[in-house]
Amino acid sequence: MKRILPIIIFIGLFVFLAKSLFQPQTNIPSPLIGKPIPTFSLSELNSDTSLTDSDILGNISLINVWATWCVGCEQEHGFLVELAANQTIDMPIIGINWKDRDDLARKWLSQRGDPYIVVLSDPIGKTAIDFGVYGAPETFLIDEQGVIHYKHIGPLNREIFASNFMPIIKDLRR
Amino acid sequence: MKKVCLMLLLISTQVSSIEGNEELTSQERELYQQIIQEVRCLVCQNQSVGESNADLAKDLRTEILEQVKQGSSEDDIKSYLLSRYGDFVLYDPSFKKSTYILWLSPVLIILLILGWLRKIGVIGK
Repeated sequence: MKRILPIIIFIGLFVFLAKSLFQPQTNIPSPLIGKPIPTFSLSELNSDTSLTDSDILGNISLINVWATWCVGCEQEHGFLVELAANQTIDMPIIGINWKDRDDLARKWLSQRGDPYIVVLSDPIGKTAIDFGVYGAPETFLIDEQGVIHYKHIGPLNREIFASNFMPIIKDLRR
Repeated sequence: MKKVCLMLLLISTQVSSIEGNEELTSQERELYQQIIQEVRCLVCQNQSVGESNADLAKDLRTEILEQVKQGSSEDDIKSYLLSRYGDFVLYDPSFKKSTYILWLSPVLIILLILGWLRKIGVIGK
Protein backbone atom coordinates (compact mmCIF):
# COMPACT_ATOMS: atom_id res chain seq x y z
CA MET A 1 0.00 0.00 0.00
CA LYS A 2 2.78 2.38 0.93
CA ARG A 3 4.38 1.91 -2.44
CA ILE A 4 1.23 2.26 -4.51
CA LEU A 5 -0.02 5.36 -2.71
CA PRO A 6 2.31 7.82 -4.50
CA ILE A 7 1.44 6.21 -7.80
CA ILE A 8 -2.27 6.57 -7.10
CA ILE A 9 -1.75 10.21 -6.13
CA PHE A 10 0.31 10.74 -9.27
CA ILE A 11 -2.31 9.21 -11.52
CA GLY A 12 -5.08 11.15 -9.81
CA LEU A 13 -3.23 14.42 -10.18
CA PHE A 14 -2.32 13.60 -13.77
CA VAL A 15 -5.90 12.89 -14.75
CA PHE A 16 -7.15 16.02 -12.98
CA LEU A 17 -4.59 18.30 -14.59
CA ALA A 18 -4.92 16.73 -18.04
CA LYS A 19 -8.68 17.13 -17.84
CA SER A 20 -8.43 20.78 -16.81
CA LEU A 21 -5.90 21.41 -19.56
CA PHE A 22 -8.08 20.17 -22.38
CA GLN A 23 -11.41 21.33 -21.06
CA PRO A 24 -12.14 24.83 -22.29
CA GLN A 25 -13.52 27.11 -19.58
CA THR A 26 -16.76 28.05 -21.24
CA ASN A 27 -19.19 28.24 -18.42
CA ILE A 28 -17.54 30.61 -16.02
CA PRO A 29 -19.99 31.49 -13.26
CA SER A 30 -21.28 35.02 -13.45
CA PRO A 31 -21.00 37.15 -10.30
CA LEU A 32 -24.20 38.84 -11.46
CA ILE A 33 -26.43 35.88 -10.59
CA GLY A 34 -28.71 36.95 -7.75
CA LYS A 35 -28.08 40.61 -8.44
CA PRO A 36 -30.31 43.12 -10.22
CA ILE A 37 -29.56 43.94 -13.85
CA PRO A 38 -27.21 46.88 -14.32
CA THR A 39 -28.65 50.31 -14.99
CA PHE A 40 -28.67 51.49 -18.58
CA SER A 41 -30.29 53.82 -21.02
CA LEU A 42 -30.34 52.50 -24.57
CA SER A 43 -32.23 53.51 -27.67
CA GLU A 44 -34.84 51.20 -29.06
CA LEU A 45 -34.06 49.65 -32.43
CA ASN A 46 -37.35 50.46 -34.11
CA SER A 47 -37.87 53.96 -32.79
CA ASP A 48 -35.88 56.84 -31.43
CA THR A 49 -37.10 56.46 -27.88
CA SER A 50 -34.58 55.43 -25.30
CA LEU A 51 -35.41 52.94 -22.60
CA THR A 52 -33.87 52.43 -19.19
CA ASP A 53 -33.48 49.28 -17.12
CA SER A 54 -36.63 50.05 -15.12
CA ASP A 55 -38.71 50.26 -18.31
CA ILE A 56 -38.20 46.59 -19.11
CA LEU A 57 -39.12 45.22 -15.68
CA GLY A 58 -42.42 43.74 -14.56
CA ASN A 59 -42.25 40.26 -16.04
CA ILE A 60 -40.17 37.17 -15.72
CA SER A 61 -38.30 37.49 -18.98
CA LEU A 62 -35.22 36.69 -20.98
CA ILE A 63 -32.59 39.18 -22.01
CA ASN A 64 -30.82 37.97 -25.12
CA VAL A 65 -27.58 39.60 -26.26
CA TRP A 66 -27.16 39.13 -30.00
CA ALA A 67 -25.65 40.57 -33.16
CA THR A 68 -25.96 40.01 -36.87
CA TRP A 69 -22.23 39.20 -37.11
CA CYS A 70 -22.54 36.42 -34.55
CA VAL A 71 -22.67 32.85 -35.83
CA GLY A 72 -24.20 31.38 -32.68
CA CYS A 73 -27.03 33.91 -32.85
CA GLU A 74 -27.97 32.60 -36.26
CA GLN A 75 -28.06 29.08 -34.80
CA GLU A 76 -30.33 29.93 -31.90
CA HIS A 77 -32.61 32.33 -33.75
CA GLY A 78 -35.06 29.69 -34.92
CA PHE A 79 -35.51 28.51 -31.36
CA LEU A 80 -36.06 32.06 -30.07
CA VAL A 81 -38.79 32.61 -32.66
CA GLU A 82 -40.38 29.32 -31.65
CA LEU A 83 -40.14 30.23 -27.97
CA ALA A 84 -41.66 33.67 -28.49
CA ALA A 85 -44.64 32.09 -30.25
CA ASN A 86 -45.17 29.51 -27.50
CA GLN A 87 -48.09 30.76 -25.44
CA THR A 88 -47.87 28.11 -22.76
CA ILE A 89 -44.36 29.14 -21.76
CA ASP A 90 -45.30 32.80 -22.33
CA MET A 91 -41.83 34.22 -22.01
CA PRO A 92 -41.11 37.74 -23.21
CA ILE A 93 -37.67 38.10 -24.79
CA ILE A 94 -35.84 41.39 -24.66
CA GLY A 95 -33.05 41.74 -27.21
CA ILE A 96 -29.85 43.69 -26.78
CA ASN A 97 -28.27 44.21 -30.16
CA TRP A 98 -24.58 44.29 -29.34
CA LYS A 99 -21.92 46.19 -31.29
CA ASP A 100 -23.98 46.12 -34.42
CA ARG A 101 -25.54 48.45 -36.96
CA ASP A 102 -29.23 49.29 -36.61
CA ASP A 103 -29.97 48.90 -40.33
CA LEU A 104 -28.34 45.46 -40.44
CA ALA A 105 -30.20 44.40 -37.31
CA ARG A 106 -33.57 45.50 -38.70
CA LYS A 107 -32.93 43.68 -41.95
CA TRP A 108 -31.84 40.53 -40.09
CA LEU A 109 -35.03 40.50 -38.03
CA SER A 110 -37.33 41.14 -40.97
CA GLN A 111 -35.74 38.23 -42.83
CA ARG A 112 -35.64 35.73 -40.00
CA GLY A 113 -38.56 36.77 -37.84
CA ASP A 114 -38.54 38.94 -34.75
CA PRO A 115 -38.87 37.07 -31.44
CA TYR A 116 -38.25 40.16 -29.30
CA ILE A 117 -40.83 42.29 -27.55
CA VAL A 118 -38.26 45.07 -27.71
CA VAL A 119 -34.71 45.37 -29.06
CA LEU A 120 -32.25 47.80 -27.51
CA SER A 121 -29.16 48.94 -29.38
CA ASP A 122 -25.80 48.87 -27.65
CA PRO A 123 -23.46 49.88 -30.47
CA ILE A 124 -20.50 50.73 -28.21
CA GLY A 125 -20.86 47.68 -25.99
CA LYS A 126 -20.82 49.61 -22.72
CA THR A 127 -23.99 48.02 -21.39
CA ALA A 128 -22.74 44.61 -22.45
CA ILE A 129 -19.67 45.10 -20.24
CA ASP A 130 -22.01 46.00 -17.37
CA PHE A 131 -23.82 42.72 -18.02
CA GLY A 132 -20.47 40.92 -17.96
CA VAL A 133 -20.93 39.73 -21.52
CA TYR A 134 -18.14 37.63 -23.01
CA GLY A 135 -19.46 36.97 -26.44
CA ALA A 136 -22.80 36.76 -28.14
CA PRO A 137 -25.14 35.03 -27.82
CA GLU A 138 -25.76 35.25 -24.10
CA THR A 139 -29.12 34.87 -22.43
CA PHE A 140 -30.13 36.09 -18.97
CA LEU A 141 -33.19 35.03 -17.05
CA ILE A 142 -34.60 37.83 -14.90
CA ASP A 143 -37.56 38.02 -12.55
CA GLU A 144 -40.18 40.77 -12.23
CA GLN A 145 -37.83 42.93 -10.18
CA GLY A 146 -34.96 42.51 -12.60
CA VAL A 147 -32.90 40.13 -10.48
CA ILE A 148 -30.77 37.84 -12.66
CA HIS A 149 -31.42 34.17 -11.90
CA TYR A 150 -29.54 32.41 -14.65
CA LYS A 151 -27.15 33.13 -17.46
CA HIS A 152 -26.41 30.99 -20.48
CA ILE A 153 -23.41 31.58 -22.71
CA GLY A 154 -23.69 30.32 -26.26
CA PRO A 155 -26.57 29.41 -28.55
CA LEU A 156 -29.80 28.43 -26.87
CA ASN A 157 -31.87 25.46 -27.96
CA ARG A 158 -34.90 23.50 -26.84
CA GLU A 159 -32.93 21.03 -24.70
CA ILE A 160 -30.87 23.65 -22.87
CA PHE A 161 -33.94 25.77 -22.28
CA ALA A 162 -35.94 22.82 -20.94
CA SER A 163 -33.20 21.56 -18.63
CA ASN A 164 -31.58 24.79 -17.43
CA PHE A 165 -34.19 27.51 -17.68
CA MET A 166 -37.57 25.84 -17.17
CA PRO A 167 -36.96 24.57 -13.60
CA ILE A 168 -35.96 28.07 -12.45
CA ILE A 169 -38.90 29.65 -14.31
CA LYS A 170 -41.31 27.19 -12.66
CA ASP A 171 -39.83 28.04 -9.28
CA LEU A 172 -40.19 31.75 -9.91
CA ARG A 173 -43.80 31.41 -11.02
CA ARG A 174 -44.85 29.32 -8.06
CA MET B 1 20.40 48.05 -33.70
CA LYS B 2 19.78 51.68 -32.90
CA LYS B 3 17.66 51.99 -35.99
CA VAL B 4 15.62 48.98 -35.03
CA CYS B 5 15.05 50.35 -31.56
CA LEU B 6 14.00 53.69 -32.98
CA MET B 7 11.59 52.01 -35.33
CA LEU B 8 10.10 49.93 -32.56
CA LEU B 9 9.74 53.06 -30.49
CA LEU B 10 7.96 54.82 -33.34
CA ILE B 11 5.64 51.88 -33.86
CA SER B 12 4.84 51.65 -30.19
CA THR B 13 4.04 55.37 -29.91
CA GLN B 14 1.83 55.02 -32.94
CA VAL B 15 -0.08 52.17 -31.40
CA SER B 16 -0.65 54.04 -28.17
CA SER B 17 -1.82 57.15 -29.99
CA ILE B 18 -4.38 55.05 -31.84
CA GLU B 19 -5.77 54.03 -28.49
CA GLY B 20 -5.98 57.67 -27.56
CA ASN B 21 -4.05 57.55 -24.33
CA GLU B 22 -1.69 60.39 -25.27
CA GLU B 23 -3.58 62.72 -22.94
CA LEU B 24 -2.62 60.68 -19.92
CA THR B 25 -0.06 61.77 -17.38
CA SER B 26 2.86 59.37 -17.07
CA GLN B 27 1.44 58.10 -13.81
CA GLU B 28 -1.93 57.38 -15.37
CA ARG B 29 -0.31 55.70 -18.33
CA GLU B 30 1.67 53.46 -16.04
CA LEU B 31 -1.47 52.48 -14.14
CA TYR B 32 -3.31 51.82 -17.40
CA GLN B 33 -0.50 49.67 -18.77
CA GLN B 34 -0.24 47.76 -15.53
CA ILE B 35 -3.95 47.00 -15.29
CA ILE B 36 -4.38 45.85 -18.88
CA GLN B 37 -1.57 43.35 -18.33
CA GLU B 38 -3.31 41.94 -15.26
CA VAL B 39 -6.76 41.55 -16.75
CA ARG B 40 -7.53 38.40 -18.63
CA CYS B 41 -9.03 38.65 -22.07
CA LEU B 42 -12.02 36.43 -21.46
CA VAL B 43 -12.64 35.32 -25.01
CA CYS B 44 -9.04 34.38 -25.75
CA GLN B 45 -8.19 33.41 -22.15
CA ASN B 46 -4.49 32.91 -22.53
CA GLN B 47 -3.82 36.51 -23.33
CA SER B 48 -4.21 39.59 -21.23
CA VAL B 49 -6.51 42.39 -22.29
CA GLY B 50 -3.36 44.33 -23.15
CA GLU B 51 -2.12 41.70 -25.58
CA SER B 52 -5.31 40.74 -27.31
CA ASN B 53 -6.91 42.19 -30.40
CA ALA B 54 -10.27 40.63 -29.67
CA ASP B 55 -13.20 43.02 -29.74
CA LEU B 56 -14.07 42.50 -26.12
CA ALA B 57 -10.45 43.18 -25.12
CA LYS B 58 -10.53 46.46 -27.03
CA ASP B 59 -13.76 47.45 -25.31
CA LEU B 60 -12.33 46.60 -21.93
CA ARG B 61 -9.17 48.61 -22.69
CA THR B 62 -11.29 51.60 -23.65
CA GLU B 63 -13.30 51.24 -20.47
CA ILE B 64 -10.19 50.93 -18.30
CA LEU B 65 -8.64 53.91 -20.06
CA GLU B 66 -11.74 56.01 -19.44
CA GLN B 67 -11.71 55.13 -15.79
CA VAL B 68 -8.00 55.87 -15.44
CA LYS B 69 -8.64 59.27 -17.04
CA GLN B 70 -11.42 59.92 -14.56
CA GLY B 71 -8.95 59.28 -11.79
CA SER B 72 -10.15 55.88 -10.58
CA SER B 73 -7.69 53.91 -8.52
CA GLU B 74 -6.37 50.45 -9.33
CA ASP B 75 -8.70 48.93 -6.72
CA ASP B 76 -11.72 50.77 -8.11
CA ILE B 77 -11.10 49.50 -11.61
CA LYS B 78 -10.38 45.96 -10.50
CA SER B 79 -13.51 45.75 -8.39
CA TYR B 80 -15.49 47.20 -11.30
CA LEU B 81 -14.27 44.30 -13.46
CA LEU B 82 -14.66 41.72 -10.68
CA SER B 83 -18.28 42.64 -10.04
CA ARG B 84 -19.07 42.01 -13.70
CA TYR B 85 -16.84 39.20 -14.79
CA GLY B 86 -15.89 37.45 -11.55
CA ASP B 87 -12.53 36.27 -10.19
CA PHE B 88 -11.61 34.75 -13.49
CA VAL B 89 -11.00 38.14 -15.05
CA LEU B 90 -7.90 38.81 -12.93
CA TYR B 91 -4.70 36.87 -13.37
CA ASP B 92 -3.96 37.49 -9.73
CA PRO B 93 -7.15 36.45 -7.94
CA SER B 94 -7.82 38.04 -4.58
CA PHE B 95 -7.33 36.06 -1.39
CA LYS B 96 -10.78 35.20 -0.08
CA LYS B 97 -12.97 32.31 1.01
CA SER B 98 -13.53 30.81 -2.43
CA THR B 99 -9.87 31.10 -3.37
CA TYR B 100 -8.29 29.76 -0.15
CA ILE B 101 -7.70 26.37 -1.73
CA LEU B 102 -6.15 27.94 -4.78
CA TRP B 103 -3.70 29.98 -2.75
CA LEU B 104 -2.91 27.45 -0.06
CA SER B 105 -2.66 24.31 -2.15
CA PRO B 106 1.03 24.79 -3.07
CA VAL B 107 1.97 25.07 0.61
CA LEU B 108 -0.16 22.04 1.41
CA ILE B 109 1.40 19.98 -1.34
CA ILE B 110 4.93 20.89 -0.22
CA LEU B 111 4.06 19.94 3.37
CA LEU B 112 2.63 16.63 2.19
CA ILE B 113 5.72 15.86 0.14
CA LEU B 114 8.03 16.78 3.04
CA GLY B 115 6.03 14.57 5.36
CA TRP B 116 6.18 11.73 2.92
CA LEU B 117 9.94 12.13 2.36
CA ARG B 118 10.47 12.03 6.12
CA LYS B 119 8.34 8.97 6.42
CA ILE B 120 10.23 7.00 3.82
CA GLY B 121 13.49 8.24 5.37
CA VAL B 122 14.92 10.30 2.53
CA ILE B 123 15.31 13.24 4.88
CA GLY B 124 16.39 12.77 8.50
CA LYS B 125 14.02 12.41 11.39
